[in-house]
Amino acid sequence: MERKPSTGSAARGSAPWLTLRMREAMEAWLFLSPTLAGFLIFFAGPLVAVVWYSLTEWNLLTQQATFVGLDNYDDALFRNPDFWHVVRNSVVFALGLVPLNMALALMLALALTRRFRGVVFFRTVFFAPVVTSAVAWAIVWKFLLQGEAGFVNQMLAGVGISGPNWLREPDWAMVAVIVTRVIKMVGLNMILYIAALQAIPRDYEAAAQLEGASNWQIFRMIIWPLLGPTTLVIMVITTIGSFKVFDHIYLMTGGGPENGTLVLAFYIYQQGFQFFNVGYASALAMIMFVIVLALTVVQLALRRKDT
Amino acid sequence: MKSALKCITVSAMALGMMSSALAAAELRFTVWTGNEAHLAMLNGIAESFKETHPDVTVRFETIPAADYTQKLTFQLAGGNPPDAGWMMEDAAPTFANAGVLEDLAPALDAAEGYDLADFSKPAMGLWSSEEQIWGVPFSTSPFVIFYNKDMFDAAGLEDPLALAAKGEWDMDKFQEVSKALKEANGKFGFEFKDGQGYESRIMHALMPPIRAYGGDVWAGGECGFDKPEAVAAVKQLHDMVFVDKSIVPPGEQGDYFSGNAAMTINQISRASLMPNAGFKWGIAPLPTGPGGESPVIGQAAVVVFTASRQKELAAEFVAHMTNEANVAEMAQFFPPARNSVLASDAFVNSNELIPADQMAVVADAIAKGKVLPSHERSPQILAAMKPRVDALWRADANVEDSLKAVCAAIQPLL
Repeated sequence: MERKPSTGSAARGSAPWLTLRMREAMEAWLFLSPTLAGFLIFFAGPLVAVVWYSLTEWNLLTQQATFVGLDNYDDALFRNPDFWHVVRNSVVFALGLVPLNMALALMLALALTRRFRGVVFFRTVFFAPVVTSAVAWAIVWKFLLQGEAGFVNQMLAGVGISGPNWLREPDWAMVAVIVTRVIKMVGLNMILYIAALQAIPRDYEAAAQLEGASNWQIFRMIIWPLLGPTTLVIMVITTIGSFKVFDHIYLMTGGGPENGTLVLAFYIYQQGFQFFNVGYASALAMIMFVIVLALTVVQLALRRKDT
Repeated sequence: MKSALKCITVSAMALGMMSSALAAAELRFTVWTGNEAHLAMLNGIAESFKETHPDVTVRFETIPAADYTQKLTFQLAGGNPPDAGWMMEDAAPTFANAGVLEDLAPALDAAEGYDLADFSKPAMGLWSSEEQIWGVPFSTSPFVIFYNKDMFDAAGLEDPLALAAKGEWDMDKFQEVSKALKEANGKFGFEFKDGQGYESRIMHALMPPIRAYGGDVWAGGECGFDKPEAVAAVKQLHDMVFVDKSIVPPGEQGDYFSGNAAMTINQISRASLMPNAGFKWGIAPLPTGPGGESPVIGQAAVVVFTASRQKELAAEFVAHMTNEANVAEMAQFFPPARNSVLASDAFVNSNELIPADQMAVVADAIAKGKVLPSHERSPQILAAMKPRVDALWRADANVEDSLKAVCAAIQPLL
């Protein structure tokens, strides 16, 4: 480290051998240390621990752990057909949820960006589910989506449609959890889009209108490209969120029927906290981490190629 | 000099605290009931323990039933074990085989006047081996039919208790009555236990009829779901759900306790819900079948955890809690496994909500019943079964094929 002559009164205190820079560095570390300690203990520590656990066969109840190398990964990826079924479900969930959520969020944002009477009310209505308890949300929907007696099916019957037994048929159950999840979370993305739309100077639009551009052309050529960075952020967080979905599945379908909504995060919970196979569950968690990381990297790369 | 004095003072204080801690011990005891009447009774038992252990207090900690086994496991794994607690029958083999339950035999042998032989042998089966005792059952509670007397009267039907007295309460009658109730009242004839028969209570839904037909879900490491008795029993249930439409179907709610189904199956601890139900009710035995009478029992026991730092003391408390007087006290809520208490008049008169002739149904079922099946790998077996049982509960399902699929899924785990 470069030595500088001590200057200033601080350096001449009780420890004159410390340079100002060293003193400043020490102060910085001191200020950082509470957060750093929290990060290491509650985030980095468990993360490293999960990597280690994933290499062991550890039964929570007996507290016996044996090192098994990559056996858990081998088991999940090559020997357990359930795992790929679960991954497929997670992919279907994400493919259903992400585009639907984003399209709806953008439409709502476009409608609710303009200032008109009652706009705050509508924004609140669409945002309210985001801050609603996930448990209450799922339970109410479970009730509404009952078979013949359910509210949704009663409504459908009113217009002559015989609705399915939503949460008891695997494909419909998946549709039901995706749609109810979208309605719950779309408000968040809507707010992000509204913020981005409001940041676009009105002059661009006015200029385009003067040039005779249609509304669609203004959206396609001006607004959509300018929303690019926001769209990317939304896409990344929504994708990650959809792979991590747990509470919603746990409460509405418990992974059923016929494992039709058994997604990765729920499967990890089942292995770790119901069967107490902590080693195997940790390996699954690492695999999920890699999948989400890979998806994020791909999305970022695509975006970079785009611009 | 000063520091020496300080040192002595601090050491004295520490010693003082340690000795008072040693003398005034606290036992932490986990339970899944939050019911005030249950807790008052338990606290009374803890209070009477003070007669022999004046400095020992027992703190009962409620963990909701749905998370009980899971949270208990985390407390044990996290180095924060309770000293003792309740345990459900389906968790017993897993915990016993993991070696986390303390052998209570020495403490029970040493307890003054403790008559271990008084406990019914079948009731102890799940909780003991030849040499060891891992738990003492405090609740050996048979499943019974709860019925809505008003709905039976409205339909002009004899109630199950009367039918049972005449020896006519069998599976065929059960189906016939359920259908008639549905037609007469427009409400479901029967609801599975807690409305959870297609989800967390699969075993409670399927087990009683399968046993009534003389089958079993598994026995001796062999799956029984695909045996002819089980297939016939489940076919009948399937018809009741989808043809007669008399059982609350999957995906619907039809709560017995709020008057939306005429019958359900449950244990007598649920009778505490009945005074507010607003209808006349009664309990009756499970319907019999080609296999004869076959009551099904749900069981729970008191255990001590090996990881406890005060396991000897905890074991002494278990001996106190399960002595004859306290078992008789608990019998008002939790049917006992002690023969002397079961045979007493005090037991049939113990529950102020249930008349003596109906409590006799309970006592009879305990004497003849078999405990629900359990297995070291119960959680895995249930998870493996669940998707195949889901497939069974479709209107167009082939019951026999679905049950074969259930066996194919669980056989490797048995």
